[in-house]
Amino acid sequence: MDPGRLRDSFARVAMHGDAVALFFYSDLFLRHPETRDMFPVSMAAQRDRLINALGRIVAEAGRLEELAPFLQVLGRDHRKFGALADHYAPVGESLLATLAHFSGEDWTPDLAAEWTAAYELVAQVMTDAAAHDARRNPAYWDATVLSHELRSFDIAVIRVATVQPLPYRPGQSVAVETALQPRLWRYYSMANAPREDSTIDFHVRMIDGGAVSMALTRGLEAGSWLRLGAPVGNLTFDAKPGRNVLLIGGSTGLAPVKAIAEQLSEMAEPPRTHLFMGARTEEGLYDLPALEKLAAGAPWLRVTACVSDQPDYAGQRGDLADVVARSGPWNGYDAYLAGSTAMTDAVASRLASLGIPDTQIHVEDFGWSNP
Amino acid sequence: MTVLSRADQRLTPDIVQSVSFPSTRLGRRGLDEDHVRVFCKQVELELVRLLNERTSLQEEVRRLRTRVLGGDNDGGGPGYRREDAHVQAVGILSKAQLTADRYVADAQEYSRKLAEDARRRRDEVLAEAHALAAHVLEEAHERGNQAAQAALVEASAGGSPARGELEAELAYLRTYCDVYRTHLRAYLEALLRNVDQWENAERTAATDMPGRPSAALSRAAALPPLTGP
Repeated sequence: MDPGRLRDSFARVAMHGDAVALFFYSDLFLRHPETRDMFPVSMAAQRDRLINALGRIVAEAGRLEELAPFLQVLGRDHRKFGALADHYAPVGESLLATLAHFSGEDWTPDLAAEWTAAYELVAQVMTDAAAHDARRNPAYWDATVLSHELRSFDIAVIRVATVQPLPYRPGQSVAVETALQPRLWRYYSMANAPREDSTIDFHVRMIDGGAVSMALTRGLEAGSWLRLGAPVGNLTFDAKPGRNVLLIGGSTGLAPVKAIAEQLSEMAEPPRTHLFMGARTEEGLYDLPALEKLAAGAPWLRVTACVSDQPDYAGQRGDLADVVARSGPWNGYDAYLAGSTAMTDAVASRLASLGIPDTQIHVEDFGWSNP
Repeated sequence: MTVLSRADQRLTPDIVQSVSFPSTRLGRRGLDEDHVRVFCKQVELELVRLLNERTSLQEEVRRLRTRVLGGDNDGGGPGYRREDAHVQAVGILSKAQLTADRYVADAQEYSRKLAEDARRRRDEVLAEAHALAAHVLEEAHERGNQAAQAALVEASAGGSPARGELEAELAYLRTYCDVYRTHLRAYLEALLRNVDQWENAERTAATDMPGRPSAALSRAAALPPLTGP
């Protein structure tokens, strides 16, 4: 395999922009119409994902030890879409046809052989990872909605029960699909530590125009079904003796840090912990009673709620970054942050400016959500 | 002199038009025969070349025509034609997909705007209600104070300060309740009017389009904001 040659070839093809992925999917659906049902109606986001993944694979071709983990995640991840080993050959066929179409005169039997070999390797790593995963886990977990509570006009707390146990670490997330918006998967964090009865809580905030979040907050009801993917994410508690814990959640970013707080509460000797929850208005403090209940019998846990955009709020006012900073010092604490990127960026840089080393600031990383 | 000197140079209409032949030597009339003969030879060659090109082009047109019309295999072969049709199908499906993408994007954008508007309107209504409630309480308090002041003055004139204070408090509460009750009544009446409108709207809609009762709901007037205590 000649990685340089593949890169050059892909760069020339990629110059045609969106047309490349458009051709690929049309070619695939024409040759194998049954694959169309595995995708959502709108393919715009899907095309971007394909080109990004191909770009990354080509960029790292030749460094298999770096590329393999990415491909393995990709292979496992595709199980929930219903991808089977049998689908890889048709995809390869359409990929080759697409590359040939856009390469024009440059397409030679030699280059075709080069691409075929590369694709076979990629498909092998992905199908191996999928097969390995299939020995231990289902392709997805079916879950039925036990309760659906609209806590404010745009935030819902949903409790589901999975049919099969879904093992995860507090702080992790799963991709969620609802029958109301088929083939659209969005990531949500489990808002509780794993329970004996396999129930899981999700906190969902409605995003204006967000198809899935609107369906989950306004369309879902008890008895509805959800489909959940495998747990992902690295915002998980890293037990270090003698270290205190700082948990910070903005809006529904509370979910993963609440799960960690529950995990700590199950420890024989929980570390000293301070949980901050921030929202724009008091109405956004949608889970404060539950947090206060958690803290009531727990001398190791302190909970602080703050509100940024409501001058007549009686409690702590200000952005999370400001409120956390003035509640310090935080030496000796490991911080766990979740929320909007703007919020986690602001808090992380504030903590850094207070002298907290990077290694002690854990931020929810969405890198895995975009393969 | 423009007669061609090289046989391989193509003859053009310009050349034919501007060709000039030298006159014959003194004593003879007409054009130089040799030059005319050379030129005619060139014209002949050019015609042959053109005819050959024409024939091969006709052949090409025929071949392409049979390919497009799906006639017998000639030249390209069946594989090539199927490939062409497939690329065309890919093009058509791609266009259809882009149309679907645009519809979904438009619908999403529309729903985003609606949700944004609803959110803004909700914030406004809430702010208005808060302001109105504060205003009602403020007015009740103020007028209660005035009543209390009047009662106090009256009682003091009667020479009983302790009784005066009690009466002042009573007057304050009574007025406060009056003002509050007035506002509450106005609010409840507005609510009742709304329910009536809703009922009427439903009745009208039911006669308009019997199959769609939900349309009536959307016609009902919006309820006024709740400004209770």
